[in-house]
Amino acid sequence: MSKIIFRLLLSFIVFVTAFIAIRQLVIPESFGKLGHYRANSIEDNKARVPFYKGTEKCASCHQDIYDLQFSDLHSEISCESCHPPKIDANTECKIMPPKVEGTIEFCAQCHKMNAGRVDKGVPQLDIEEHKGDQNCIECHNPHAPWELTE
Amino acid sequence: MEEHFQHLYQALSQVDGYIYPNEIDLHWGLMIVLYPYITGLVAGAFILASLERVFHVKVLKPTYGLALLTALAFLLVATMPLVSHLQHPFRSYEIFMTPNSTSAMAIFGFVYLWYLMAVLLLEIWFDYRRDFVIWSKTSKGFKKLFYQLITLGINDTDEKSAKLDDRLGYFITVIGIPSAFLLHGYVGFIFGSIKANPWWSTVLMPIIFLFSAMVSGVALVMLIYMVVSWIRKVDIDMKCLDTIARYLLFILIIDFTLESLDQIHRIYEAEESFDIISVLVSGKLNITLLVMQVGLGTIFPLSVLGLFQFYKPSERVRKFFYFLVGGMVLIGIFFMRWNVVIGGQLFSKSLSGFTSFKTVYSGMEGSVMAAVWLILPLFILAFLLWLMPPWKKVTYHE
Amino acid sequence: MGTNGMNNRRKFFKASAALIGGTIAMSIMKPLGLMAQTDSDDNTQEKDKLPLWGMGVDIEKCVGCGKCAEACKIENNVPKEPFYFRTWIEQYTVKNDGEVKIESPNGGIGGLKQSVPDKDIFKSFMVPKLCNHCTNAPCVQACPVGATYISPEGVVLVDDSYCIGCSYCIQACPYGARFMNPVTKVADKCTFCYHRISEGLQPACVEVCPTDARIFGDLHDKKSDLVKFLQKNPTEVLKPHLNTKSRVFYNGLSSEVR
Repeated sequence: MSKIIFRLLLSFIVFVTAFIAIRQLVIPESFGKLGHYRANSIEDNKARVPFYKGTEKCASCHQDIYDLQFSDLHSEISCESCHPPKIDANTECKIMPPKVEGTIEFCAQCHKMNAGRVDKGVPQLDIEEHKGDQNCIECHNPHAPWELTE
Repeated sequence: MEEHFQHLYQALSQVDGYIYPNEIDLHWGLMIVLYPYITGLVAGAFILASLERVFHVKVLKPTYGLALLTALAFLLVATMPLVSHLQHPFRSYEIFMTPNSTSAMAIFGFVYLWYLMAVLLLEIWFDYRRDFVIWSKTSKGFKKLFYQLITLGINDTDEKSAKLDDRLGYFITVIGIPSAFLLHGYVGFIFGSIKANPWWSTVLMPIIFLFSAMVSGVALVMLIYMVVSWIRKVDIDMKCLDTIARYLLFILIIDFTLESLDQIHRIYEAEESFDIISVLVSGKLNITLLVMQVGLGTIFPLSVLGLFQFYKPSERVRKFFYFLVGGMVLIGIFFMRWNVVIGGQLFSKSLSGFTSFKTVYSGMEGSVMAAVWLILPLFILAFLLWLMPPWKKVTYHE
Repeated sequence: MGTNGMNNRRKFFKASAALIGGTIAMSIMKPLGLMAQTDSDDNTQEKDKLPLWGMGVDIEKCVGCGKCAEACKIENNVPKEPFYFRTWIEQYTVKNDGEVKIESPNGGIGGLKQSVPDKDIFKSFMVPKLCNHCTNAPCVQACPVGATYISPEGVVLVDDSYCIGCSYCIQACPYGARFMNPVTKVADKCTFCYHRISEGLQPACVEVCPTDARIFGDLHDKKSDLVKFLQKNPTEVLKPHLNTKSRVFYNGLSSEVR
């Protein structure tokens, strides 16, 4: 065999071996266990703590409001629909209660007249005509909208 | 980040029609325009060199070495725009460590490596090996050290070894042609295989990329040959230049035919995406596509080169026009890449609206960076020409 | 060249060939799981028990209040700027002259507002969008390094610590469901709230939807709400011609929707 070819092959072999050796060292441990990805990444994706705790968790302290809401038209809606958590996932909600201002704009998110919302079981109002500049919660209890206050 | 948000808010205010909210941020910018551009120059330059070596177009001899070194200089930079556009550039090694076999981009890494290591470096090495040995005896300092190292300790200069070099070099070039086709065809496939994007997703994309690559590479070598000759104060071999220009004309015709075929096919089939694409072409892309790519980059060179096949003006006039045409073609192909990469992202995949693109100057994706990646290969080429000047070679392949 | 040298060389070649061949075989077989038989046996058994997550979206119920998009951003730390959404809602308005107006200001957060006067409207409806968790996911196919994948439960996930940020997956997604997170600088997308569903909770968007327009569940479980929804309604997926075999099913999907 010619010297040239031998030297070149040798360099090639050195290169490929080095490549494979580095590869063995660098590939993450769990890579390829379940497919072409790092299997431990599944655990990483699971690892976060939920912010939204669910209606049951809210009801464990606020049973009265839960019962009230269950009795009226907003019964289908979960607490955190209107009260999104304002704290990070690991803190108790008492530290920063998820209060909402019952402004017209807030209620309008669902109830303002929109051609895309008709006949979907959500009352649609011409807000201006309905009650001028008053806030909705001045008349309606948001947990039981048909219980009108004076 | 704030600056980026400002930029996006501005883009948001210019949205035309409806686009998916995540599409306001254009993800592939100037760097991805450069990447197929530079890779194309490599493939094109290499194929010009192969014309001389494999297809025995002997009149192209003055450009053989130049074309190979040009290809090498640009190939060394080809991946840099890609890496600098990554959000996590230090993770880029993962492409080689755990390449996803279904990903066009992952396999490109290996195609690139194959082409650089197994084709281009080897061919140049075989071509220069005997000269390295001879030069190592006459030169001093860094050059001597480099020549001694690069010979891998083989000091044969006899006829037999030269013949072996020649045969192996020829063999590599023969392998090199399909490899160069693969290299740039593959770049086309990276875009052509994206079924989500109707502007990219066409089977013709790899072959259009391939021929436009040849066009740009041939034009580049033509320009570099002229410039290098002027700098060296030697006469330009007009026969060689005329031949390059003739090949440029042939490849341009094929390229233009293929691209027209693609467009005619779109227009005639007028699929779901046709409405938005026709607005794209006549609106957002009218300057870069119709003026720069088609007008300046294709029609003008085609007319000039075509005319020269029938009517040959004086050498001075021809040189001037070859220089002009070479430059125009390079600009035209740059805008062809632009129209593919940027154009493909300007319209929404909802097919109902457009976003806008504005180049920025600074940053990893800015135009300053782009200029760096375009000029750097020229410096590398100058260095290579100093280190291993093709015109000082003693040995020549058959 | 002496015979002795030749022999040595040959031996060297054989040895190195064996070494390389062995390493290559190992490195190919290991990721494919061909070597760890005990592992794969466990996996196949477990796979039958695993759920296959999917979602139903009832366009006839959606009122475009934007609660889902808002909750998604809070739950998943999505940047608040209006260019990054894991889920959003579009309002389609077909005008009397046939023109279709699509809009989704701030992804629908804060409630969608009617922008076309009633007299010009032929029909109007809201379409929530999210990652479709395709069975043939183009993004997973395109990822060069294996940083996005389909989990054993059929959820398309991103490996934040492995993504190189090349944006190829974003280009490959036909639904615009992916974005480049400006904070983490990796591709980001809906995970069906993987951390929640693994704990038995509903995804945040489903949790807060006031009209039950989103139905989440296990496609393997015949008794799940999702399966019942699919049995009761004629459903369709988005862009079916792209053959992504997505697992987000729409009821009431009009042909204007893209």
